[in-house]
Amino acid sequence: MFGYIKANRQQLSEKDAAVYQSYYCGLCQELKSRFGKKGQILLNYDITFLILVLTGLYEVDERQKEFLCALHPLKKRIQRRNVITQYAADMNVLLSAKNFEDDWIDDHSYAKKALYTLFQKDYERIREKYPRQERAVAEYLKKLSFAERSGEENVDAVAGLTGEMLGEIFAWKEEDVWADELRCLGFYMGKFIYLMDAYEDAQDDAKHHRYNVLNCMACDLEEDFETFSKLLLTSMMAECAKSFERLPILLHADICRNILYSGVWTQYEYLRLKQKSRKKKKADAASSLSV
Amino acid sequence: MPPHLFRFDRSQKIMLNPYQVLGVAPNATDEEIKKAYRNLSRKFHPDANINNPNKEKAEERFKEVQQAYNQIMQERQQGSGGYYTGGFGQSRQYRSTGDQYAGNQESVELQAAANYIRNRYFQEALNVLNRMQERNAQWYYYSAAANAGLGNNVTAKQMAEMAVRMEPGNMQYRQLQKQLEYGGTWYADMGQNYGMPYQNFSSFCFSLFLINFCCSCC
Repeated sequence: MFGYIKANRQQLSEKDAAVYQSYYCGLCQELKSRFGKKGQILLNYDITFLILVLTGLYEVDERQKEFLCALHPLKKRIQRRNVITQYAADMNVLLSAKNFEDDWIDDHSYAKKALYTLFQKDYERIREKYPRQERAVAEYLKKLSFAERSGEENVDAVAGLTGEMLGEIFAWKEEDVWADELRCLGFYMGKFIYLMDAYEDAQDDAKHHRYNVLNCMACDLEEDFETFSKLLLTSMMAECAKSFERLPILLHADICRNILYSGVWTQYEYLRLKQKSRKKKKADAASSLSV
Repeated sequence: MPPHLFRFDRSQKIMLNPYQVLGVAPNATDEEIKKAYRNLSRKFHPDANINNPNKEKAEERFKEVQQAYNQIMQERQQGSGGYYTGGFGQSRQYRSTGDQYAGNQESVELQAAANYIRNRYFQEALNVLNRMQERNAQWYYYSAAANAGLGNNVTAKQMAEMAVRMEPGNMQYRQLQKQLEYGGTWYADMGQNYGMPYQNFSSFCFSLFLINFCCSCC
């Protein structure tokens, strides 16, 4: 699920890139201080985006601190942390731990069971502190499993499950005036993430006869599949971006826009280039045979 | 979709002078609007007015400022007029279209659906629509609107397409379809400043693989 929501570094200004990195470092340090080293392996840019949006919206007080990173010891780095970093770190563990548990139940992966056990106590603590979000994640996994096992063909119905779940995560404080708009942002982002995942796994799933909602679409030619997938993904990001633009966010808005309009397509563009080169290789091989 | 997710104020009426409420010109940039909103909402926020003897007035102004901002942003995104707005659960004034079907038995249920949609009870609207046997172009139009309101944007587009296909001359159906498609062009325009990842790579190569791999580590 993680890995799609990140910035397009080449398009970020040096200043913005430094700010982006400092929130990422802040998240890493927060994960370490609350969950130890095992928390740090959960670090990702997707949750960093959550921090950026909420920080931009609420403009909370924050601490900036220089520190020495164990992985990058040559130069001191700057970390930014605020109360939203704490929330995001909790959500990070909530999502990861629930996924470990799920993988253990579904695939009997002992590695995942071990990981889940590591975080079990933390998970219980987070469940007590954020019951609404925990319920959303737990319900989501149940509903998703059911939908996929029953071969749900309706894109909105199945992708919407991830959307609903992520919407609850983005809605930091339920009673706030912006809770519903944040839910909307999270909702369409969740749908995008689910469909990106489906797009990435489509060929593999088809080969192994596994459920994939995109493969359920009646597509005669490969081109139709590509066109329709791109349309679906764009549709989700368009609604997500519109929601962002409706929020009165000024602080770090440029970084968020880089992510929403460009960065989220990183993996998609990477896959398309890979496909193109694979096709070219096949075509070259075929033409050399026919010579 | 659980109805509790949509807690937009269903009773909100259209404001006549939202720009005035925020103290900005009608041609102010989005950034200026957001700045004005932030300043005013900070000033009138209930938490900032606990000791204010006029705190009820402050709360009233706070709600006014909120409504003005929401209205301006929605209008700017969708253009004024027209039925559905982006996202889901956003409020808009609904223009009645029931007249054409006066006298038709089906119109009772379609009117019910229309009422639900007008008040943003989208799931209830869908429930009414799904109980109906006959599905004409109007049915597909309402289904598109209700689905759009629930965030089922893919289904909404398909429904709107059907409505237009069944009644190609109906401008209202075309307008809804355009609004639902509109997202794509708007999004592409907004994204022009940012370009696409890997746009300098014409083909996949090892250095691209390395960049992708390294980017995910740090």
